[in-house]
Amino acid sequence: MRPVLAVALALAMTALLIAAAGKNPLLAYAALGRGALGSWDRIGVGLNKATPYVLTGIGVALCFRARVINIGGEGQIALGGLAATWIALTFPQAPPVVLPLLALTAGALAGTGWAALAAAIRLHRGVHEVLGTLLLNFVGVLIVSEALQGALGEPGAGFPQSPLLPRASWLPRVLSGSDLHAGILIALIVVVAAHALLWRTPFGFRMRVLGASVPAAVYAGISPPGVLLGVMSLAGALAGLAGAIEVLGVHYRLIDGFSHGFGFNAVAIALLGALNPITVLPAGLFFGFLETGALAMQRAVGVPTPLVAVIQGLTMIFILSAMGLSARRSKV
Amino acid sequence: MLRMQRISKSFGSVHANRAIDFDVPAGRIVGLLGENGSGKTTLMNILFGIVGPDAGLIEFKGRALRGHSPRDAIAAGIGMIHQHFTLVPAMTVTENVMLGWEATGWWLRPTAIAQRIRDASSAYHLGLDPDARVELLSLGTQQRVEIVKAALRGVELLVLDEPTSSLSPPEVAGLLGILRRLRDEGRSVIFISHKLGEVLEICDEVVVLRDGQVVGRVETTGVDRHELARLMVGRDVSSPIDRVTHSTGSERLVVAHLLARDALGIERLRDLSFSVRAGEVLALVGVDGNGQAELARVIVGIDRPTSGSVFVDGADVTAGGVAARRAAGLAHVPADRATTGLVTDMTIAENLALRSFDEPPLRHGPWLDAAAMTELARERIAEFEIRAPGPTSIARALSGGNQQKIVLARELAGRPSVLVAEQPTRGLDPAATRFVIDQVLALRAAGGAVLYITTELEEALLVADRIGVLYQGRLVGLLRRERVDLARLGLMMAGALEEPSDAAALYGVPTP
Repeated sequence: MRPVLAVALALAMTALLIAAAGKNPLLAYAALGRGALGSWDRIGVGLNKATPYVLTGIGVALCFRARVINIGGEGQIALGGLAATWIALTFPQAPPVVLPLLALTAGALAGTGWAALAAAIRLHRGVHEVLGTLLLNFVGVLIVSEALQGALGEPGAGFPQSPLLPRASWLPRVLSGSDLHAGILIALIVVVAAHALLWRTPFGFRMRVLGASVPAAVYAGISPPGVLLGVMSLAGALAGLAGAIEVLGVHYRLIDGFSHGFGFNAVAIALLGALNPITVLPAGLFFGFLETGALAMQRAVGVPTPLVAVIQGLTMIFILSAMGLSARRSKV
Repeated sequence: MLRMQRISKSFGSVHANRAIDFDVPAGRIVGLLGENGSGKTTLMNILFGIVGPDAGLIEFKGRALRGHSPRDAIAAGIGMIHQHFTLVPAMTVTENVMLGWEATGWWLRPTAIAQRIRDASSAYHLGLDPDARVELLSLGTQQRVEIVKAALRGVELLVLDEPTSSLSPPEVAGLLGILRRLRDEGRSVIFISHKLGEVLEICDEVVVLRDGQVVGRVETTGVDRHELARLMVGRDVSSPIDRVTHSTGSERLVVAHLLARDALGIERLRDLSFSVRAGEVLALVGVDGNGQAELARVIVGIDRPTSGSVFVDGADVTAGGVAARRAAGLAHVPADRATTGLVTDMTIAENLALRSFDEPPLRHGPWLDAAAMTELARERIAEFEIRAPGPTSIARALSGGNQQKIVLARELAGRPSVLVAEQPTRGLDPAATRFVIDQVLALRAAGGAVLYITTELEEALLVADRIGVLYQGRLVGLLRRERVDLARLGLMMAGALEEPSDAAALYGVPTP
């Protein structure tokens, strides 16, 4: 109930800001609602937007469960997109079903590698993963830029982007009359799988014990480095997968800066979803629909889109305050 | 001096204090006894202004204290020394005494304060050096810094919460002497403790709390410890311990020439060797911080020794980790229940599975078997009489005694060859303490070998067949139970006496 209340409070606060900007908040929110959910097409766009959020958010949530602070979603997404693009451009002759699967796998592996790198730096050089993942974000994004300036760039495009990927590599649409692609199905499978992993498997148990108490984990014979590496790799795989889906399902090409902001929104979504895979789903959908609705709101009423970022920010602040008020009682 | 009348306090549906009357006359040492959760802490928190009472009056030196803060309590002349000291380790004794003391005025006058510390130190025989850095002092000396802090601030009522729990016997004797001198000056002391022997020795009178009510107020001259224990628990717990003598068997735990350094390179264990036989309890006593924790960690496989070996049932397990040693038959009750022995935010069932979740029957292929976990928990809850609503209640909600029962249920369930128990009764009330000791002795009777690490000599005498003394990472004495001389053990714990181990007590240590 708390997250819902926090969202309501955030919307109310933003309404005041919209009113202060001289617009009618009710009209603005009506436009936002129509823009987000007004038609199958709009819903499809919102779900597409939410897909990378859900995937990356679940990875971050699993990390936080084990008390591993992974804020490297953006870099992992960037490299996932890069790897998927490279596969799609390198093997255009591959059969239609095989090529996207291959590209998605490559994206997941690239994300895994990038996250595992941060984990390795933590384990072997003692650099905290907060710093490691944060700094690797910059490196990851710049590697994508570099690739687009060179080998993967589209000649004469005037903008750092790759050529259009071969049609065979595109994710199939799943709802006729909308842009909704198969990524959302992958996200739903991941939600269920992550829930099962966390609550029903020995590895999930290890994560939860480690997150609750490091000495208890060591006493139980659980290896903290093993869990750190495992959960980081997993989160990296999900983020890399999200990057690949973004490229193969939405843009059909690699665009410079396509991963911008995803990593940090994923942290917000993980917290909004109370670090539970099942509840990260609505949190991710909320962020996705909020963004698609915001564009409509701007067009219809002239409310600037940055106000959406304000709603997101206020929601986070209210959520975190509410969590702080109720000293952690939740099950781990 | 202090009158607390009809003090009541509830937290939700829990009545922590119910109409408690508690008086402390001037120049008296009053003991406050009670099991965990009997309301002692709440009562003292109300006195000190940390929480407000729901009802009742507090009168100190004839003036009413109402809605007061800890600062007001200190200003009125009430001092409190907690189990965990509130000193700044990196500062000197003088600096710590000055810290937060309003009477020092606008300008700090360290030399004048240092002189007052010296005066107080000689008046109370504290032996304090005002210029010493606190982190370099022993816990006993740090406690004296707390006392001098309170005394210089003109404290007239001093509250001590479990003050002897980390002191060696000579330090305890010193503390009791200091308290007597404070009393003889007309100050009053409230002495909170679980240790009935000390309470009887130092206190003039004792107030016993149970379930938030005063169940007894007695002069210490007229009672014995059995009577006090009965008052605390509400029933007789002093039935004799069932400790059959029987012949011991083969060596189940052998520790040979253990050497361990910490991260800073300081030697924590210095060439430790001993063994424990089947059907035997070896108690290692010593003041906290003399290598007990390091020894336990090395034996159970959390840390690796710098050199030396650990054998369980004849097999060298030194190279194995925690899981390997558990498989070899090693059970472990860690010292810190709340952060190590249990994950207090998890359920009872999950806590019971904490060390065996990754093996059948709890693991089923790649899955945890939740039903098996619950079933196991039901059995253990019944067998160990854990008082809890059910397998899925959160461990945090349980009393300390019931939490420790979860740990014991988990560790003793597989009839381990060797049990390493660190301070297994710390913070437990007499009934729960008794339960722990009975369980340890049951394992002994069943042929298990027990290494029992404790700071309590009396408890060691209760359970152990042999007693060893740890001092600065070395075994400075190892005696058979029959030959134990308490005074000498106390000196050994303080590092003042070392004697070659009793030849009959030290056996079977293989040479590397």
